[in-house]
Amino acid sequence: MKLNIDYIARVEGEGSVKLEIEEGTLKDLKLNIWEPPRFFEGFLHKRRFDEVPDIVARICGICPVSHMTTAIRALEKAFGFVPSPEVVKIRKIMALSQIVASHLIHLYMLAFPDYHRLHSVTQMLPGFELEIRRLIKMKEVVNNVTALFGGRPLHPVAMVVGGFTQLPSRDMVGKVIKELESIKDDAVQTLRMVSNLPFPDLTNDSEYVGLHGPSGYAINEGIIVSNDGIKIEEDGYYSVFKEDEVSYSNAKRTHVKGRGSLMVGALARLNLKFEMLHPDAKKAAEEIGFTVPDHNPFHNNIAQAIEIVHGISECMELLDGLNLKDSNIPLKLREGEGIALTEAPRGLLCHHYVVNRKGIIERANIITPTAHNFMSLEENLRKLIQQYINEEKEEIVLKCEMLVRAYDPCFSCSVH
Amino acid sequence: MVSSGGTPEGPFDIALVEGTITEAWQVYELKKIRERTKYLFAIGSCAINGGIPAIKSTQPELEVQKRVYADLSPIHSIRPDTIVSYVAVDGDIKGCPPGERDLIEALTSVLSGRKPDFLEYSVCIECKIKTNICVLVAHGMPCMGPVTNAGCGALCPTNNRPCYSCWGPMKQANASALAKLFESTGMTPEDIVRRFTLFGSVTTEFRKTAERYET
Repeated sequence: MKLNIDYIARVEGEGSVKLEIEEGTLKDLKLNIWEPPRFFEGFLHKRRFDEVPDIVARICGICPVSHMTTAIRALEKAFGFVPSPEVVKIRKIMALSQIVASHLIHLYMLAFPDYHRLHSVTQMLPGFELEIRRLIKMKEVVNNVTALFGGRPLHPVAMVVGGFTQLPSRDMVGKVIKELESIKDDAVQTLRMVSNLPFPDLTNDSEYVGLHGPSGYAINEGIIVSNDGIKIEEDGYYSVFKEDEVSYSNAKRTHVKGRGSLMVGALARLNLKFEMLHPDAKKAAEEIGFTVPDHNPFHNNIAQAIEIVHGISECMELLDGLNLKDSNIPLKLREGEGIALTEAPRGLLCHHYVVNRKGIIERANIITPTAHNFMSLEENLRKLIQQYINEEKEEIVLKCEMLVRAYDPCFSCSVH
Repeated sequence: MVSSGGTPEGPFDIALVEGTITEAWQVYELKKIRERTKYLFAIGSCAINGGIPAIKSTQPELEVQKRVYADLSPIHSIRPDTIVSYVAVDGDIKGCPPGERDLIEALTSVLSGRKPDFLEYSVCIECKIKTNICVLVAHGMPCMGPVTNAGCGALCPTNNRPCYSCWGPMKQANASALAKLFESTGMTPEDIVRRFTLFGSVTTEFRKTAERYET
């Protein structure tokens, strides 16, 4: 039996799964990410450094802040520029608000319908009106946080290499803190809702990789760590990871040299640094009985919901302690090279640039979370199908789609 | 695609089509959608002015592709273009990200059976409405506001930086006059070209001006 799920719906971008089952065994499985390439790394060549954040923002309509922040950090490193501590804090607020927004969309609109045998978020009405109202309320509040410093929630404009062109007033910050306070309970409700979904059983063997910092839940910077002993500075990225072209996919696929697949994203982060979570998130996780390590890739959904609780609480604390000054220090151009890694909503994101002395891009390389997860997703799809191999075709297709969605892949990002 | 299942064959009352044309099969799909749709709106800069992906058109196709893939045999990309260059549309919902006001205008105009009334003036007007100090005249920033379609609420100048034209060119934009002004402030030809090829590099409004400064 040949199965071709040629258009996986409710994920970001375009991809398909092709598989072949013969006499109760899975013969072949391929994840074909056929999203047409846009060649960002190709046309960034000869553009000026200060255009780069605005350009790379357009890689993704969900995580533009991640692409901008990663590019900005890589370029600042190339120029030998160190941003002010206030700027570092504001970038973390931006990142956290975007992580919460992204997880909300994924959990409510993309993943949730599967577990109630619905096709889309629109079918959630009238049965799940409460949930939809909660989603809209929370999404608006976290969008306002991103927009507070960026000018708008998507493709923010005030975030530039060097800092921020404009900062909000103390009053505006206070208003947003109050709004965040009003959704704290909704975050806990979201986690309860997600933890009650009937997740299939599956055990992941991929290596968990993420960023780790000395204090706090590392998002925008840190060393690269894994549960199999990776512990390196971000500049050593290429010594451990390798990206390959795949004949059947427009997205490239990354592996850990000499080992194999890796898993990045919310579940990987919790498995690596649960202890660093905000106390509110730890408490909420405890309430639903979540413990680490958790090796079920479907539980990436639960991990995302825990990160929603974390993101809101940490945002509030960071906002409360802001100084709102020294936001944009002029920088000096020089020839250089910079690699930066951040935790995008879907996991580890790498940007790498070579610039000349006029600040013109000579070379660009971008490795996205979905490229990092590609091999792990294929491996776990194979395992999952073997588990359900005697089920009806429709059931196998649904289970496959559910696992793809659990990874929350961004095919658009992966074929930047 | 936010729904699994559904009715991919149509017919449709309204279609909102986003994205830049980057592979030939998309033209076929686009024409099929046009045939089966009463009202087709282009939504977002990619669909209307080529957006960021159209920067690729400013450089030799093969060179750009080679920088990304060593093996180009599975790659079937073509020169990026707008959707409005392939099919007739019933209106443009401009912006990157697309503007809320024009999206609501498009949908309500169809519902009430009237022609949509989209914003068709420059970002400059929005700065005047907000009583912003002109960042181009007062601070010498290379602002694209005078040639860029309104809709963002003059977001960049309001945030103390020059507009970079993410809404794309406005109708009858006098791009060459603005380029001359940039030139007079000492901007290099390379920087002027980059200014007019960030968004809208495949539009006649910006393309001609960029070509004048290409070396």
